[in-house]
Amino acid sequence: MPARIALALLLAALFLFPFIAEKQPYLLHVLILCCLYAIPAVGLNLMLGYTGLVSLGHMAFAGVGAYTAAVLMVDARLGFWLALLAGVLAAGAAGAAIGAICLRFRTHFFMIVTLAFGLMLYSVMNNWDEVTRGAAGFPGIPRPAPLGGFTFGPLPNFYYLALAAAATAFAVQWLVVRSEFGRVLVALRQDERLAQAKGVNAMLYKTAIFALGSAIAGLGGVLHVSFLRVAAPATFSLAESINAVLIVIVGGAGSLAGPALGALVFVGLPEYLRVAAEWRLVVFGILLVLIMLFAPRGLAGLAAHAWARVRA
Amino acid sequence: MLSAVLEQTVNGLMAGSVYVLVALGMVLIYGVMHVLNFAHGVLLMVGAYVCHFFFTRVTESYVLAILLSVIVLAILGIALERAVFRPLHGNLRNQVIASLGLILVFEHLVIAVWGPNALQMKVPATAALVPIGELRFPLQHLLVIGVTLAVVLALFFFLKVSKFGTAIRATSQDRMAAMVVGIPVERIDWMTFGLGTALAALGGALIGPLFLVFPQMGDAPMVKGLAGILLGGMGSVPGAVIGGFIIGIAESVSTLFLPTDYRDSVAFTVMILILLAWPRGLFGVRVRGED
Repeated sequence: MPARIALALLLAALFLFPFIAEKQPYLLHVLILCCLYAIPAVGLNLMLGYTGLVSLGHMAFAGVGAYTAAVLMVDARLGFWLALLAGVLAAGAAGAAIGAICLRFRTHFFMIVTLAFGLMLYSVMNNWDEVTRGAAGFPGIPRPAPLGGFTFGPLPNFYYLALAAAATAFAVQWLVVRSEFGRVLVALRQDERLAQAKGVNAMLYKTAIFALGSAIAGLGGVLHVSFLRVAAPATFSLAESINAVLIVIVGGAGSLAGPALGALVFVGLPEYLRVAAEWRLVVFGILLVLIMLFAPRGLAGLAAHAWARVRA
Repeated sequence: MLSAVLEQTVNGLMAGSVYVLVALGMVLIYGVMHVLNFAHGVLLMVGAYVCHFFFTRVTESYVLAILLSVIVLAILGIALERAVFRPLHGNLRNQVIASLGLILVFEHLVIAVWGPNALQMKVPATAALVPIGELRFPLQHLLVIGVTLAVVLALFFFLKVSKFGTAIRATSQDRMAAMVVGIPVERIDWMTFGLGTALAALGGALIGPLFLVFPQMGDAPMVKGLAGILLGGMGSVPGAVIGGFIIGIAESVSTLFLPTDYRDSVAFTVMILILLAWPRGLFGVRVRGED
């Protein structure tokens, strides 16, 4: 029960935040970025944390969603909401197709093949000038059209959109994890052979979660470029895919709150500390190594451990 | 057309040489420790920066600068094995993630120290041209290929003949059995790691003068080196050499038919197609702990 009350309080605080911090557009900006980084991380958490699939090309699928939506909105003049849906579906379809190939490989073979596909998708975004506008980026992406009189142009309003999207992603994660499907995924991570001996079609389940994880990444990607109003290949590069792994691991792989904690630390901490960009990633790299060495369950694991101690 | 193919083949051999140096280091480390170090590419980059530092600040001699950089990186590799990879022994996933952390650390440390811009390294061998048939190549191209071939031969000889080399092969084949016959496997671990990072430093020091020295210079060699390893067969040393050269030549020759921008994709497509056909690669060795 205390967990539910805490969650309700947290949601209320997040909802009221624009009113509390009315004179702090900068804080709002940071929180929006947290949401935008947390969404793809949720998708990766389902794959990496729960199923044990370390994908090193995750953000490329966010890029598939983002560029699909961008082309539909700018070139085909489609509305934002339909484009968002199409982007999510396109990312999911790309995840299903590419995942079906990647999942024929295991352990490090899988990691390297996902890395290779990530780089190939990046190369398409970077070089297919006619469609993606190439390395210079895809400008002129609109903010969502007003919904029932509610416009998404102003920062606080876009914040609610990002918050709602993040909440949706976390809700999907929660639903998956507590479902029969989610339990099979965890079983596959723990012992794939045993699960198969019990009659689980491992390939089907893993492809499904690869597709779902990619679709969630696509959601994050579409919102990200709509927020920045420009899609740039760099947002979906290998470095960003590594950052996504970092967010999931630092937050706590295989925990429901992990991606949120990870994104908060990744986006929020350097803003708070005001360190130069290059030192910030040096610090995060060291943090990642230290977490692997001393706290493989990440911040969520540390928090759970501390909570258990307090209660004992 | 023929001379264009020849030109691209030499370019491919040159690029492939660097992939081979990276792949050899990774495959040796993988064989002995069952670690896949994704930070191998940034270590190549650090090697190039260290070489640049010695060459511009300390000594006039390029050869001496290469040697110093190789030594510094070998020490760095040994330190990393001690501090990061040994404690995570046996946990592939955590090792890979820690190596991703090392990528961030080194890439951004270098940016913080040397800045994000590419540095030039003026070595006489880049200016000198050598005629082959009707084509002329910079001496540095041929130097890269020659040094790599010499290193490959020396390494084969070392692995076959020397005691340390034999111990490396024994540990790769069966760590437990190697321990039983009295091979100090932990010493083999750090020595192999040092050897691997030394090879990466050599690669970085060799391509630095050709393609400038910049923070992302190791990314492509790392990924292509990996592709070469998978292509040749995970754990096979000759496979890594042949795989690295195949990737290098395939991507260079492809530029005759396809836009240069898609060169990397060609390398990956070759890798994925070959793996789908032969999951163990061309010279696949069955390595413990897999499937």
